[in-house]
Amino acid sequence: MAQLSDIVNETVRAEIEEFLDRPEEIERNIELFSRASPAMQDIAAALIEGDNITVDRLTVQALADGVEAIEIMDDGLIAGMGIVGIKFREGFVFVPEVLVSARAMKAGMAHIEPILAASGVEPIGTVIMGTVQGDLHDIGKNLCIMMLRGGGFTAIDLGVNTSPDEFLEAVRENDAHLIGMSALLTTTMPNMARTVEHFKDAGLRDQVRFMVGGAPVTPEFGEEVGADGYGKDALACVELAKKLAAELRT
Amino acid sequence: MGEQFKRLSGEWMTPRRRFLSALYGGRVDKVPAMTLSSVITLEAMEIADAYFPEAHLDAEQMARLAATAHEDLGLDTVMPVFHSQLEADALDAATWWGTVDNWPATSAHVLHDPEDFSIPSDYLKRPSFEAVLGAIRLLRKRYPEVAIVGKVYGPWSVGFHLVGIENFLMGTITEPDAIRRYLEVLLPASMMSAHAQFEAGADAVMWADHANRELVSPQTYRDFLLEMHQQVTEEMGGPSILHCCGETTDRIDYFAEAGWDCFHFESQVDPHVAKEITGGRMSLMGNINNPTTLFSGTYDDCYQACMNVLEAGVDGVAPEGSVPLGTKMEVLQALADSARDYSNAHRPDGRLVVHDPPPSPSDENGEA
Repeated sequence: MAQLSDIVNETVRAEIEEFLDRPEEIERNIELFSRASPAMQDIAAALIEGDNITVDRLTVQALADGVEAIEIMDDGLIAGMGIVGIKFREGFVFVPEVLVSARAMKAGMAHIEPILAASGVEPIGTVIMGTVQGDLHDIGKNLCIMMLRGGGFTAIDLGVNTSPDEFLEAVRENDAHLIGMSALLTTTMPNMARTVEHFKDAGLRDQVRFMVGGAPVTPEFGEEVGADGYGKDALACVELAKKLAAELRT
Repeated sequence: MGEQFKRLSGEWMTPRRRFLSALYGGRVDKVPAMTLSSVITLEAMEIADAYFPEAHLDAEQMARLAATAHEDLGLDTVMPVFHSQLEADALDAATWWGTVDNWPATSAHVLHDPEDFSIPSDYLKRPSFEAVLGAIRLLRKRYPEVAIVGKVYGPWSVGFHLVGIENFLMGTITEPDAIRRYLEVLLPASMMSAHAQFEAGADAVMWADHANRELVSPQTYRDFLLEMHQQVTEEMGGPSILHCCGETTDRIDYFAEAGWDCFHFESQVDPHVAKEITGGRMSLMGNINNPTTLFSGTYDDCYQACMNVLEAGVDGVAPEGSVPLGTKMEVLQALADSARDYSNAHRPDGRLVVHDPPPSPSDENGEA
């Protein structure tokens, strides 16, 4: 069994020691980082610190050194973002810190994504993501999209103020079966229900799974509007998407 | 508009007096039930024959619509600033004014450098202000005894509109001096808005700066806003109410330190805990959950939620924020009903005072 001391990077070690509390998460991260190369640990550490310039440089360097793109994504970028996600969930960091780390992840992914696309790696599924009609807030949705892409999904971003019909059209165009709806305002949350209803009217409700999220949204509200799942944050969104994608496959 | 307010048995304060007394933590004949954010619904639009989005830019429609809060819901306040675009639109942010069943929002951000910002010379004459200030004047004239609450977006929230929320929040880490400069240059625009609303006849102004836990740490509020809010509460020129969405328990102490007269708070905050933290330094109003209780719930759900909040000792019940437009007015009626019933069942206590109605002017003739 791997030990914390097996992790070379001091920042990563300190982050696990200081901010992770749940035994299964500590174990999983020690396992993950201890088998990651020092270069991947460095990428993760820079990402946790929100240093986009270093992440960009180290990603380019790693690719030049022959490291596989998928390894950089999994062991460097996603692993680092995983720690940030836990810190966010536990209230150690807030949206600004997550945004800065997300910017660093984007810097790395800019080099990784074209390589993965060219190599024909099949996505787990396609998710249609949008902020519901009347709502122009997109931070949470954007974070979810980034994590979904990092998690192996193709995420189609419909942006903000997305009408029920735009969700429907995007599902048809992309042959997608997962939909993520976000709302920040209590005034716009009811538009989640309207979107679900629109799919019922179109006879497509049974072929898709709806995920909902956003600051004022609760699991109970999700159930009320007829969604299939609620994600509290971007990490939960990816887990939920994986679960629903697996359900759809069976 | 002949009857200014509906006096019920055991009530001797006007809604305006009741609201202002409660705002300052004083004695009341009845705990006020209020709108501090919007309680406009599709039903209210039918009743007032005034509809979104036209009502956002038309003083008469805005006033009629705002009045439904008192006329049809029996609330002690009216609040005509339904949307969040008042200052941002007048500062040249591109505004999408929404539809009958959707709220306005900023559709494009315009500011990239705080040094590029200036307040237009006709700022208070721009359409969003003409409508709001005109509506406040109309309401003051038509409802002299009903409290009018104005609403201002502070520099933090106007910054979200003008700079973009993502850029603004990220800047608190990557360029904190630039964010402080944005706040500094935007503050006068918010202060002008507050002063103009008081001058038009508002009894109190709610100041919204969304520095809630879902976005930033309490330290961010302390470092970027506390001192500025202290200045605001000193210079605002009238009763001040802070609105901050979401979970704010960990920063309520800072809000009290800033000197706000009242905090309009959301249902994520336990009212008992909020009372304990504030310790009477500012009053507490709001706390009735929008999505579950008001939008999806029943009259009874709302009534019970209000009773729970009143039992916790808040100074007035109100929805936690602007209610969804599809909310049923029947459910919103429970706000005033619960405040009345609670007060009848609890008088007299420390804050609820039984008092004879004031003498009518005819009784005073010849009296010393």
